[in-house]
Amino acid sequence: MTDVHATDTALSGPVEIRVPADPAMSRVLRLAASGVASLCGFSVDEIEEIKIAVSEVLIALIEHGAGHHVDVSFVVEQGSFTVLGDTEVHEFDLDHPDLRLCRTVLAEVCTDHTIELIDEHARISAVLRRPFKAA
Amino acid sequence: MTEFTSNESLTIDIADDGAVVVHGDIDMAGGPILEAVLRPREGTDAVLIDLADVSFIDSSGLRSLLDAARRAHARGTEVVLRSVGPEVSRLLEITGTSEQFRIDGRRD
Repeated sequence: MTDVHATDTALSGPVEIRVPADPAMSRVLRLAASGVASLCGFSVDEIEEIKIAVSEVLIALIEHGAGHHVDVSFVVEQGSFTVLGDTEVHEFDLDHPDLRLCRTVLAEVCTDHTIELIDEHARISAVLRRPFKAA
Repeated sequence: MTEFTSNESLTIDIADDGAVVVHGDIDMAGGPILEAVLRPREGTDAVLIDLADVSFIDSSGLRSLLDAARRAHARGTEVVLRSVGPEVSRLLEITGTSEQFRIDGRRD
């Protein structure tokens, strides 16, 4: 019998997923992120933080974007998990109260996060680096 | 207890004491379902929401609770959050919104 232990593993490349811009996809992507993070040795508490970051990225892109789909990538490097999201936008008001709430949560959970508006696309990067703030 | 409504990750019951009991995830998909349950039940009495079985909440779900609190305050009443777990507590703390609610018990 082989004893398998979780290890802190980086991935050789990003996990890239395109989903419809549908609120129901939030849970799907949280589950996907949980699986990737678990595979790479993140703890249960760390995975809970990653799930929050994924959810907030999707809130920003789905509720405030105008695209039919959202592109999400998970990038795992030694000691960090990055959530990247991209969708088409027409108007993207960073000071909208709902988006401010979202950014407040991202700022608390993530080590770094950025929201860029480029060529009618909103691009969000949310980086969680060990030690995670609350995990 | 009567099951009121649900989606794949959220179920809402009405307890015998009238509390709206939420099970599962209050997220972008679940928030509107919760709001649809809460609105017709909003009257002159406080709105009691039991969160003992909530496993996940994000800022979108929190907005549903905050909107209910704003409507309650406008009617001269309040929203009571019962059995608040660490997930909800943390989000209330991060966003500085705990004072919008009366908290009736916390769970570990």
